[in-house]
Amino acid sequence: MRSEEKLGDIPAKSGDRQMTDKGQSLRGLGSLLKRRNLKDLLAVVVPVVIFSLAPHFYSNEILLISIMIYVALAEGVNIIYGFTGYLPFGYVGFYGVGAYATSLAILDFNLPPEVSIIVGGAISALVALVLMPLLRLKGSYFAIATLAAAEALYAIIGNPSLKSITQGPYGINIGSVYSSGGSYVVAVVLLGLSILTVIAVKRSKLGLALRAIKNDPVSASLSGVNVVVERTKAWLISAAIAGLAGGVFAWTITIFYPSAVFDISISVFAIVFALFGGVGTTMGPVIGAVVLYGLYSYVGVTQPQYFQLIFGAIIVVFVLFVPKGIVGLLGTAINRLGSLGQRQRG
Amino acid sequence: MRLNRFNFKVGGVLLASALVSAACGSASSSASSSSASAAPSEITVGTLYAGSGSFADQSLPEYDGLKFWVSHENSKGGVYVAAYKKRIPVKLVAYNDQSSPATAATLYDQLVTQNKVNIFVSDFGSVLTAPAATIAEEHHMVLFDQSGTGTNFFTPNNPYIVLADLPTSALWPKPLVQFLIAKKINKVALVYGSNDFDGSQDTTIVNGLKAAGITPVYNQAIPTTTSSYGTTISAVAATHPDAVIELGYANNDIAFLSNLASSGTHFKMVFTVFPGQLQQLLEKNVGESGLAYTYTYAAPPLISYNNVNFGMGTTAFEAAFQKQYPGPVNAPEIYGYHTGLTIQLALNHASSISQLSLRSALMAESGKITTLEGLFKLNSEGAQVGELLPVAQLMPTQGNTNTAVQIVYPSSQATASAVYPAP
Amino acid sequence: MLFEYAVVAGVLFGLFYAFLSIGLNLVFGVQRIVNLAHGDVIMIGGFASWELYYTYHISPLLSVVLVIPPTVLAGFIIYRLIDGPLSRAQDPEMLSLILFFGVSQILEALVTIFLGNNQRSIPDSSLVHGPVHFLGQSYPGVWWIVAGASIPMVGLVILYLYRTKLGTATRAIMADPIEAAAVGIDVRKVSAITFGVGLAITASVGAIAPFMIGGVDPSEGVNLTILAFAVIVIGSLGNIGGTVVGGLIFGVAFELAQLYLPSWSSLIPYVLLLAVLLFKPSGVLGKRVRSA
Repeated sequence: MRSEEKLGDIPAKSGDRQMTDKGQSLRGLGSLLKRRNLKDLLAVVVPVVIFSLAPHFYSNEILLISIMIYVALAEGVNIIYGFTGYLPFGYVGFYGVGAYATSLAILDFNLPPEVSIIVGGAISALVALVLMPLLRLKGSYFAIATLAAAEALYAIIGNPSLKSITQGPYGINIGSVYSSGGSYVVAVVLLGLSILTVIAVKRSKLGLALRAIKNDPVSASLSGVNVVVERTKAWLISAAIAGLAGGVFAWTITIFYPSAVFDISISVFAIVFALFGGVGTTMGPVIGAVVLYGLYSYVGVTQPQYFQLIFGAIIVVFVLFVPKGIVGLLGTAINRLGSLGQRQRG
Repeated sequence: MRLNRFNFKVGGVLLASALVSAACGSASSSASSSSASAAPSEITVGTLYAGSGSFADQSLPEYDGLKFWVSHENSKGGVYVAAYKKRIPVKLVAYNDQSSPATAATLYDQLVTQNKVNIFVSDFGSVLTAPAATIAEEHHMVLFDQSGTGTNFFTPNNPYIVLADLPTSALWPKPLVQFLIAKKINKVALVYGSNDFDGSQDTTIVNGLKAAGITPVYNQAIPTTTSSYGTTISAVAATHPDAVIELGYANNDIAFLSNLASSGTHFKMVFTVFPGQLQQLLEKNVGESGLAYTYTYAAPPLISYNNVNFGMGTTAFEAAFQKQYPGPVNAPEIYGYHTGLTIQLALNHASSISQLSLRSALMAESGKITTLEGLFKLNSEGAQVGELLPVAQLMPTQGNTNTAVQIVYPSSQATASAVYPAP
Repeated sequence: MLFEYAVVAGVLFGLFYAFLSIGLNLVFGVQRIVNLAHGDVIMIGGFASWELYYTYHISPLLSVVLVIPPTVLAGFIIYRLIDGPLSRAQDPEMLSLILFFGVSQILEALVTIFLGNNQRSIPDSSLVHGPVHFLGQSYPGVWWIVAGASIPMVGLVILYLYRTKLGTATRAIMADPIEAAAVGIDVRKVSAITFGVGLAITASVGAIAPFMIGGVDPSEGVNLTILAFAVIVIGSLGNIGGTVVGGLIFGVAFELAQLYLPSWSSLIPYVLLLAVLLFKPSGVLGKRVRSA
């Protein structure tokens, strides 16, 4: 929490106070807003520009796309977990639904891939709406319930009885619409969109409400926040991002089996990346996904025989030594520097 | 309000800039390899293996087979490359995908774009081959598909794939279906895993039987993760079938056969896929008695081809391979070696080492070559249509601990006649 | 006929599932640790049992007991190492999930490196010869042996919790760690022991699990973890007695699904889990309602 404040975000605890104090500190707020504008602008522009230019320097585009997909997924986890405290262990369910909805929109309705990916996001949000009752659960119950939901979605979509609709276990082939440039562009758009969404949520009334709920649901609802509606919004946005990410993956890979898009380790990776970077912040999940997935790929290429061992060890070490995430760590460091500076000046 | 508009504007600008710059990026990276006239110092072969996870039990032996081929050729100074009329050493680049298709995708791209391999070989099985198919096509690399037998990969317009080993899974049961019809076995029960590999075999069997006027008495898909078959076996037994065919992955077959043995249920004929692929693994896990008189596809080395005109025959291969990798030889090891042979065949005959000439060299040799997997024959889509798998039965031998595997169908290859019904 | 078979099979498997999940529930109950490496501990128990059988000809039934002491010790030490960092975290419950995902990766990798990838099994004849006949039908003998071994093992865990001083302290911590500390319980020590006991009972079930799930292989962990989670949530998270009920419900539902809707049988347990969570969020035997 403290690190968040220092990074210039709206402090969670004093959310309501800030609104009432508006008149008194208008000038301060104005400069704060400007600084935030610049920071948020950079938070979107820098990753987008880097990833737009990256193929000129590094031609493994699938790795770059995978990183962008994981950034989006980690930001999606951030929206639901970082803002509400609900950990979606079965987040991959929306990813798989998005991949399938996108592919079926292409195969059955001949929609262009870009449109189909949006359909994928929309269908995932729709599935999230159906699964809304899960939000009545808390903590581990919610986490495990979403996992069960994801497994159930996998069992349905991959079922041989539904061969005529989803092709069941026989897999998808959308090779006819393959376009390497096209899928790279949508991946960059997805990257920008996911970061932008987090910023938008953070700055909106929704973000304020979510933080109030996370801190104290009872007093939030007493002060007029509709807990169910606000949480649902975050849930749907988060699901839609996963759906879009699944769609981008489908278009990139074009031939895949259900097991590839309902792999539970996709959930785990997204959650690990988000936490590693730091949830509740804008840049945390971006840094987490880029650093850890980059590291994961590096280990995979340089140490193939000890791949799993080393990656597992990295996660354990991170939890034990950096439990607040990288951004949290940086925040603490900045805090210390800041207080040092103040002391010197004073 | 102001905030919202701000966000919208920023978003618009960003999306536009993303579109522009990404489009530039992809335009510049599309140029691909040029043909050099000087002979390369080495031929790089790139592949993936699953060091852990559900495909490791077959991916690793397959990788060993390929490694064996590489060291065998290198001991002779390299593989003969017709385009340069000399032997060139082979360098193998391999990464570990841990059985994850998503990880495999990035590593395949790594092989193609960073290592710039000359020969692109996929990992074991359809699930891990799927991500390679698109990458191969995009980068105009011929994919040496080892054992990804999914029918989805082969399309008329894509020349960038060749199935080196094994026919597509839909072709596997052809001899089995003929056997059932010839034996006049009319009450057939089928249990298959919900995955492409098993599902496509089931479809072939059901259609084949239907053509002969036979409808299975039981035909059910069960989840690939199934590890206990007790209730399924009793449900199957209730239909009083004359033959029970269980199509699964190795772990499914092990669980099914163990459960069957311990349940005390007896069927006249039991067919499973993997005793013929991984005989030692199945014997170790199911036991001699659990396998007695069951049927399977006879994959090499159960079916041996010593009268070959390319590479080593079965017996020679087993002897040479065991010097490097002690212990009995299994089918995936032969597939890996055979993938190497396919690469060798292409390099031996291609007029240049460009990808399309490698493929056309293979197409030209198709049908003329017999290896330790039998007749090497590709269809126009690059799928293997030779190398059909006969039906075998595992006969317990008296006093000896080893099960003797006898080919029982087709009669041209048969080494014994089937013991039906099983005692 | 078939129905009865499926129900009996479901009950036998249900007892096994209860044994398989109870350690996860214990570990979760004490310090809200979400042990994603649960299935891997079962896997290691399985390999230990395999080695003991083939190297020293020790019956897997004996291994069920033999694996307990070293695992209690290992668990105690591990808990001491992770307790500090976890308790300082903002959301220890969720951080533990990540931590044990890492542990699960390490365990799977180590077993793969040292023991190889291949599936291994122990012959049924090490426990029993031939099928068991019951109500006119024959069942694999090992099912009865494993189910029979599960009852005393689960019973021992319940006895430990309700009839020993340590168990009473454990339950006090489960109910409220702060209050437990206030009445003079050494929360850290008792938690560490409980964590060790939880892991030990999990390794213990691993010793006979190969007979029920077709063998043991390094990659089996994930599916077993998911299964165990389903069982303890259906029963009631943090309620040890509920685990038995959860196991039985899961076992019978799964076997009936395998009989009547084979291709959907993997779906049924999850639908069941979701239904239980939505209509009785605290689990079938749960008392505390945890929904907001």
